[in-house]
Amino acid sequence: MLELHGVCVRYGKVDTLCDVTLCVPAGQTLAVVGESGAGKSTLIAAILGLVKLAAGQITWAGAPVHTCRPSLVMQEPRAAFNPVLPLRRSIMEPLTARAEQLSDARLAHICNRLELPIDLLDRKPGEVSIGQAQRAGILRALIAGSPLILFDEPLSALDAVTQKHTAQLIADLQDEMGFAALVVTHDLGYAAAFGDNIAVLRKGRVEEITPTHAFIQHPKSDYGEDLRQAAFALGALGYGA
Amino acid sequence: MTLSVCGLSAVRSGRTILFPTDISIEPGARIGLVGASGSGKSTLGHALIDALQDQGARVAHVPQSPDEALDPLRRMAFHWREAEQALGLPHDAARQHALFRALKIEKGDLRKRPWGWSRGMQQRFVIAMALVGSPDVLVMDEPTSALDPVVAARTMALLEEYLSTRQTAMVLITHDLGLAAQRVARLMVMDAGRIVEDGPTSDVLTAPQSAVAKSLCMHRNWLELPC
Repeated sequence: MLELHGVCVRYGKVDTLCDVTLCVPAGQTLAVVGESGAGKSTLIAAILGLVKLAAGQITWAGAPVHTCRPSLVMQEPRAAFNPVLPLRRSIMEPLTARAEQLSDARLAHICNRLELPIDLLDRKPGEVSIGQAQRAGILRALIAGSPLILFDEPLSALDAVTQKHTAQLIADLQDEMGFAALVVTHDLGYAAAFGDNIAVLRKGRVEEITPTHAFIQHPKSDYGEDLRQAAFALGALGYGA
Repeated sequence: MTLSVCGLSAVRSGRTILFPTDISIEPGARIGLVGASGSGKSTLGHALIDALQDQGARVAHVPQSPDEALDPLRRMAFHWREAEQALGLPHDAARQHALFRALKIEKGDLRKRPWGWSRGMQQRFVIAMALVGSPDVLVMDEPTSALDPVVAARTMALLEEYLSTRQTAMVLITHDLGLAAQRVARLMVMDAGRIVEDGPTSDVLTAPQSAVAKSLCMHRNWLELPC
């Protein structure tokens, strides 16, 4: 289980994250929503150990979080890969760095589950569709075998139909592999459909963490309600609030 | 006056990306142009703008991100002046104030450069620039996808209120049928460079005919997915 206790991150004199406490059990998904500048990306950077904590601690199963080697799926699928290398080289890099091997059968299995033809991995990022590039990004996160995967706006570059298809593929793989997922997203529709819990982050603070079905009925925070209203107005949750 | 264009098409690198297409736009119409990535929506949008301008119609374009419209090195006041000059309009403080008030950006500091404003305010400034010449048609290409949902919903509501008393028609280009369904009365569905369906929004939503429209309809709501 991923646990954050009283996490603070400070850039200069500004608290980008302030007293953040949350947890994500194995096999579950926590969707983190909030406006631009709320600290969502800093939260991911903090879990990955890319920024120094001013206070608090981040653990996986009681040990420092880096011991579980969390994986990251990035927002811009093509920009997430080296443009001059075939996808296969970039995808294998986490394993190569650890001098680990992956059986062909395992790779073929995950590719199959992600509906990614295996010969596509010999192409460069610019030679595949954005949807395929994002599935390759998910493949890279999965083959490292991490029990914790962080998703930073994983669907926002994809079109509406591809978004929903990709979200379903991620959920199916999570059922199979049991990883914990922390998903940062703007899209309350996605959060509502695939999150177990929804956390609202605002100005660096967690305003609420609520089970998804309860959140959709009645968010506890004002900003949660603003988000819910906006999702209805934008058609993400159906028609009529 | 209804605007019509016939035989719009586009070819890139020897490949046809837009097959000959006819479109007519009535004054004050709300048209959604929907389809998957690469279906030709933006291409049609650009071709439409060029063709309407050639006819002498006033057309304005709002791109997906304010970054595409605003020069980071120029102050907001420069952008505004440029928008007026491009249309040969004299500076009109009253018009500027009315537009800024309608889009709720009257508190923005015009001496600042774009990055001194929030993204939501930048995009509303771009929409205000597009409206400066009271266009006949406003073509908006994914105008809210770079914004927070809360800011996006507010921006669309403000724009709709401003347009409600005017003759300006709006063409909303988006991959998101859920978004379009909330905003437009007529939907055109594109696939592989062709308009495959064109009709009242309620008809397309309740009885989609083409495979692509059916797929878009099935996936329009996160909480009612087919899978």
